[in-house]
Amino acid sequence: MTRLTRRELALMLGAGALAGTAEGSTWKSSMRPGVVGLAEARAALGKPLGLETARLAMARALAASVGAESGVEAAAALFSPRDVVGIKVNCLAGKVLSPRVELVEALVDLIAEAGVDRGRIIVFERSNRELQRAGFTIRESGLPYRCIGTNNDYDRDPSTSGAIGSCFARMVSTTCSALVSFGVVKDHDLSGVSAGMKNWYGVIHNPNKYHDNGCDPYIADVARHPFIRNKLRLTVLDGAIAQCHGGPAYRQSGVFELGMVAASTDPVAADLWAWQEIESERARRGMPTLEAAGRPVRFLASAAKAGLGVDDPEKLLMVTA
Amino acid sequence: MSIDRRKMIVLGAAGAAATIHSPLLRAAAAAAQRGSSAAGDELPAREASWYKKLDEGRVECELCPQACKVADMERGMCGVRENRGGTYYTLVHSLACSIHTDPIEKKPLFHVLPGEKAFSFSTAGCNVECKFCQNWELSQFRPEQVQAYNLPPERLVAAARRNGARLTAATYGEPVVFWEYVRDVAIAANAVGVKPTVVSNGFIKEKALREVLPSLSAIKVDLKSFRDEFYRKQVRGELEPVLKSLQVIKEIGVWLEIVVLLVPTLNDSAAEVSDLCTWVRAKLGPDVPVHFTRFHPTYRLTDLPPTPVASLERAWKIGRDAGLNYVYLGNVPGHPGENTTCPRCGEILIRRVGYQILSNRLVNGSCPDCQRSIPGVWS
Repeated sequence: MTRLTRRELALMLGAGALAGTAEGSTWKSSMRPGVVGLAEARAALGKPLGLETARLAMARALAASVGAESGVEAAAALFSPRDVVGIKVNCLAGKVLSPRVELVEALVDLIAEAGVDRGRIIVFERSNRELQRAGFTIRESGLPYRCIGTNNDYDRDPSTSGAIGSCFARMVSTTCSALVSFGVVKDHDLSGVSAGMKNWYGVIHNPNKYHDNGCDPYIADVARHPFIRNKLRLTVLDGAIAQCHGGPAYRQSGVFELGMVAASTDPVAADLWAWQEIESERARRGMPTLEAAGRPVRFLASAAKAGLGVDDPEKLLMVTA
Repeated sequence: MSIDRRKMIVLGAAGAAATIHSPLLRAAAAAAQRGSSAAGDELPAREASWYKKLDEGRVECELCPQACKVADMERGMCGVRENRGGTYYTLVHSLACSIHTDPIEKKPLFHVLPGEKAFSFSTAGCNVECKFCQNWELSQFRPEQVQAYNLPPERLVAAARRNGARLTAATYGEPVVFWEYVRDVAIAANAVGVKPTVVSNGFIKEKALREVLPSLSAIKVDLKSFRDEFYRKQVRGELEPVLKSLQVIKEIGVWLEIVVLLVPTLNDSAAEVSDLCTWVRAKLGPDVPVHFTRFHPTYRLTDLPPTPVASLERAWKIGRDAGLNYVYLGNVPGHPGENTTCPRCGEILIRRVGYQILSNRLVNGSCPDCQRSIPGVWS
């Protein structure tokens, strides 16, 4: 694991690495395997971040994730004005442990300022009800962005990816051309970690079928389906508040103030970072590792083997603004 | 208006039966056409009957051998049982997503009131995932993902009686996942002389099975293979618990029939069929009917052809050679393997084409020619 500043990453990447916009295949050249951009985002439990803090944290993490000068530049490198951008938020745990509205809206603003029409930015979850419980306002259309549940609007036929056979939400199969996983940093009683990759369970009709064996290889199989793999531009993890035990639902005894926001174009690296933070907090509390607690994080190795990203801690580059 | 196939299942059921028991089903059809559903975001929930509480708000389901350990806000593999704050709930009690009046032969239960109607019902969900599931649009979905409506046991049984159905059948999806509903329908049915039956995969824990079995008149179990590897790879279940269920059903004395869907190249070898028939003969006896039925490509198994009739006929012969008295073939309308034949004198007793009874020569459950008693539920 290496720690860099954004400037050091930019120097390492070389001049012109982010030249141009995300037309055509340019966004692919902005992918940074193993790089996780980090920014401070401190908030007390149950308290909002504040709009300025949220904006600053989101912009810094995003810029750091690709080595850009600013969050807007990073967004321009990842998203094209022609894109329909779907931001999948994980709201299962309710308001305290879901992505904060102010952070999600900061990302929406950055993408919009990078040239994507606000009508083409959709924040979504499985149902309107989950979004509302997490504090989002449902907007079927209009400004400042659309915010809707997929509400069981699935493809009619199942499609297979490795061991899974699922109907995907039309939001990801059809509507969106670019995707963002916006998760949180939390423990999961079966997979060990629920951060960015497990969030994609929310776009298949039958996630309940794929929780055995620590959700492995199923999490990787969902993420490597072309609907996800070919469209995923970014993973963002709201770690202002995190949970090291008792997940995936909110459990106060497992919550801690991590005070970070992470962004990465590498979904495996993002989850690896989340895993490390959870293990650190568990160690600090004298708790056993996730593996010793009977829920080893297996899915990251499967995801790395499938070519989705970097799961080697030695190759993880943590970049701060 | 666009309607997807899952909605059409209710519409189809309603439409097909509307002339028979229209008030109930017209309501269902209307609900489906409105695009509304009883299964909204907030599903009605009843505390489940078979589970235990674990530490930290988790629960362990004790209904089926998957034995899901479920954290707060999560569901078991079936997708219809949810942990809410350390209490486990069924989300599908009285939440029917498909109802229809079928001939009992469709289940198939060939030795149960031939030619009678079975008021058939299902909820969403299943505790396994067969790659060849014929009803995947119900069984592989969660209750909030299909059209459904409230149909409590008493209303269900009343609807059955209005339709002249002497039987109810929990079927289509997997009754194990709505076992509390099955139990309560059985109690309501028995109270008014309607016979409750079940069509199941038999993948259920013994305690839950034993608690409900005495209320049932008959059960058909899908024995999907006689190889555990098939169960693990194609079904995501296990063989042994199903074999145990078959023995428990036999021990309790509820009428049992077995269906084996022969899937080309996967479970249709002569050796496997022979092992299966030998086991049935030895453990359950020669009088348990075994139906070998024809596979048609569907769901996740679309790259195989339908089962060749020759494979079915080979299984038919293997079963009879193994000493089974009642071996049937299914999904091959008009084949002599659909008929019931007297094991003593060889005369045809019940002649069938598809789900239709052409003739029934049984007299008080016996062969009229040689008086051999034919086991079953005949009255």
